[in-house]
Amino acid sequence: MTRPARNDPHPADPTDPGPASATHSADPADPDPASAAGSTGTADADEPPAGGSFAGYFLRKLGGAATSMILVIVLGFFAFRMLPGDPVLKIAKERPMSPAQIAELRSQYGLDKPVIVQFWDYLVGIVTGDLGESYVYRKTVSSLIVEYLGPTLLLTGTAALIAIAMGLWLGQLSAWRRNSLFDKLASSTSLIFWSVPTFWLGLILLMIFGGTLQWLPTGGMITPGLDPWSAAGIIDVIKHLILPVVSLVVVVYAQFLMIMRASLIEEMSEDYLTTARAKGLTEDEVRRRHAVPNALLPTVTVVFLHIGGLIAGAVTVEAVFSWPGLGKLTFEAIRGPDLPLLQGTFVVFSAIIIVMNLAADLVYRFLDPRVRRA
Amino acid sequence: MFTHPTLRRHSALRRGWRRCLAGVAALALVGSFAAAPAQAATSEAPASENVLRIATDGFIDSFNPFTSFYLVPTNTFRYMYENLVANDAEDGSVTEGLATEWNTDDEGKVWTYQIRPDMKWSDGEPLTSKDVAWTYTQMMEKEEMAVANGSLVENFDKVEAPDESTVVITLKKPQANNPGQEIPIVPEHVWSEIDKPGEFKNDEKSVGSGPFQLESYEANKSITLKANPNFWRGKPKLDEIQYRYYTNSDAQVQAIRSGEVDFISGLSPDQFTALEGADNVKLNDGNGRRFNGISINPGVADAEGKEFGTGSEALKDKKVRQAIRAGIDIETLRKQVMHDYAQPATSFIPAVYPNWTLKSDDPVISGFDVKKAKKLLDEAGWKEGADGIRAKDGKKLELRFLTDADAPIEQNTAKFLAPWMKDIGIALKNESTDVDTVSERTTKGDYDMYFSGWSINPDPDYQLSINTCGQRPDADGNGGTSQDGWCNKEFDKLYRAQHVELDQAKRAELVQKALAIHYEEAPSVTLWYPSQLEAIRSDRFTNFTKQPTDGGVIANQVGYWGYASVEPVSAEEASGGGGLGAGGWIGIAAAVIVVLGGGGWLLSRRRKSDDRE
Repeated sequence: MTRPARNDPHPADPTDPGPASATHSADPADPDPASAAGSTGTADADEPPAGGSFAGYFLRKLGGAATSMILVIVLGFFAFRMLPGDPVLKIAKERPMSPAQIAELRSQYGLDKPVIVQFWDYLVGIVTGDLGESYVYRKTVSSLIVEYLGPTLLLTGTAALIAIAMGLWLGQLSAWRRNSLFDKLASSTSLIFWSVPTFWLGLILLMIFGGTLQWLPTGGMITPGLDPWSAAGIIDVIKHLILPVVSLVVVVYAQFLMIMRASLIEEMSEDYLTTARAKGLTEDEVRRRHAVPNALLPTVTVVFLHIGGLIAGAVTVEAVFSWPGLGKLTFEAIRGPDLPLLQGTFVVFSAIIIVMNLAADLVYRFLDPRVRRA
Repeated sequence: MFTHPTLRRHSALRRGWRRCLAGVAALALVGSFAAAPAQAATSEAPASENVLRIATDGFIDSFNPFTSFYLVPTNTFRYMYENLVANDAEDGSVTEGLATEWNTDDEGKVWTYQIRPDMKWSDGEPLTSKDVAWTYTQMMEKEEMAVANGSLVENFDKVEAPDESTVVITLKKPQANNPGQEIPIVPEHVWSEIDKPGEFKNDEKSVGSGPFQLESYEANKSITLKANPNFWRGKPKLDEIQYRYYTNSDAQVQAIRSGEVDFISGLSPDQFTALEGADNVKLNDGNGRRFNGISINPGVADAEGKEFGTGSEALKDKKVRQAIRAGIDIETLRKQVMHDYAQPATSFIPAVYPNWTLKSDDPVISGFDVKKAKKLLDEAGWKEGADGIRAKDGKKLELRFLTDADAPIEQNTAKFLAPWMKDIGIALKNESTDVDTVSERTTKGDYDMYFSGWSINPDPDYQLSINTCGQRPDADGNGGTSQDGWCNKEFDKLYRAQHVELDQAKRAELVQKALAIHYEEAPSVTLWYPSQLEAIRSDRFTNFTKQPTDGGVIANQVGYWGYASVEPVSAEEASGGGGLGAGGWIGIAAAVIVVLGGGGWLLSRRRKSDDRE
């Protein structure tokens, strides 16, 4: 996953006429068209050539996403079949099973058919929205995914909101006080956490707050027997949510912090800030009203890109905290190996990432007028 | 870029410090808010007194005893459905189940069982011999009902219930092993009403005859079992058993420390030692019914004797295989790798079955003996080369040891083995890979040696059968299952003899003779019988029954003894000592930080507003 290069009208460029007149500075979100046109030509080869319509841009991005999706679907079938391990032999391992029983199981799973027939069934299934039946759960994969999507969205959604809010807030503070002690501490702490493996951090948190202090539960989403919609049930879910959310947030907020920081530092040398100060605004007001809104532009697109990754990243956290979501489902499907379920979750995770990438492209175009006009 | 802040750089620096403190304080506050209600809630809702909570991570497809073959459902069936005959807690030998007594004709072909009168299913309906006959017949007649246990009725010709208390099983061929074991008997009045019994999930309000009945099941969350008041041995003292899902065994360890579960099983030696000294946790180092061994490729072939795979030619010579056994210091390995959490082993029937296991004083058993190993290799024609590695006809004695990279026990074993093998002149290369590759390569015979293991049931017949020539699969794994891919006519003869020997003492003798041949031929070296490591919340429950009763296991038994006898610990006994634990002290420290940090934060707010003026 790559961060889209931002169209950057270099501030020091002497040929840049600059938007620094008093009339423009009140609305910095709308920079001088001349500067934008002058810079897009060289800045990003990925952008459409000047004059491309929005429809063309949209179709091209959509085409790219569709191609990725087709590749994912093909890969989803063959990659897991190329992996070593025969699901039926794994079940039969160490069990008194007769050859007839093994053959019966093979035919129940459809594994006795030639691979090409299995592939065709799989393709037809995907087109008709039928992802097959899980070997282990004996339910359709689609119904399992729908059932387990909720807990995953609750976990990753909460984590994403907190990580983004915390990362952006700390990032803009760090940029504004660049090279101060706060900046150094905030940036380096976030980077240290960023390099910590999620499962390791999860286990450590589990040990301290679950096993030793016994403040928080050690796994699951709700204490069995509680009604999730009662007051006690909601409190119980929140208690179960704290540790997995903290493990997710602490590891990923660095990327939001660093993006926000870099983006704001670029903004900080802009002339319109000097104008704002000249108007007598305090430093905090200059930052909040002028610098940060502009710096948010490139950040938002990157945030979209990372949300997809965050959902996929839930696999480890859900496995550590026994969170009954898609990640745990995938983790157990690998152990199986439960081929239809593995294919299903793989395709769904990939689809989420592809859709998020597409959304990032479109939002970027929509938010940044320089790209829109290109 | 630094133009504007320079004016107030000094104050900015100081402010940086304060910001930072404020951040810490804010984090600490969030933490304490989060923790406070959590702690309150924990004390509000004390765990229900008479519910045994067990951590699990097993797969469940359904609770249909005809089709499910996963470990958790299979273990649950043992609590839900009584078998015709059970395996007792003491040593796993056959004991009364639904049948009070049984006998067989002279050759072991017709088995007659007397069913206990006046038994009831958990819903109050009478339980008779008709239910038994119906269950067996379903498995014999319908393919979809034979998925899980079809092999157990393969030898059944017909099953009849001449009257309410008699069941007669007529076999196709005689067998000494009691055919009434390990097949859950279901109520005909419930299952005959089900439209497609092969697809029935049976995952709530089950009707059965065992001590506990399935009340509800939520995938990946919990399984709840309720005591059955109609259980013929009497209603269990527990009200409920609740399995809770923990994907990860480290999380299970934390859960028993915090008291969220009452029982966990399948701990690693490291996890087990880490729990030593934990408050209110009692440990059980149970003698298990598994064996671990090193399987040595004796030249694998299919049932027709057609060889396949890449096994070393050298290993077809039993002297080389015997030399490998003599070159391994199993006792050191058991202590160093297993930390003594394993019983010393002889052959592949574990010591928890004293009737069948190969006696440790059997004359065939030989120990660690480097001299003997070297002598055997000399005799086999492998002469030591300049580099210490033996060679024959210009070919060096180089072997591969296939191991699972994720299994520390296998990796550590490999580390010990390489230098020991070098001592006797064999170059052993550890090929560590993922578990699926191991199983695929061993199926194809693409190995010299690999680390193997099996769980053994109370009757040795099945495990012996998969060491016979006819059970060898082809290179795709079709046709059968073989323990070591080995074939020996003498062993087969003994297998067939014990299969029909009704006199248990004579049968035991035949079994041990067969095991001795396997030992002497060395298609595998049995290393040990690993312990099943378990932990119990001793402040909540007591009186677990082990199998074997003396030093055995609680979970994964062949039977329902483990939890059926469990009683809650009375309140007075359970109250532990007061005082502040480590948790209390850390809590106090956290509170101090919050107070200090909070003060700093307030201070920084005030100074900042000063700055603004």
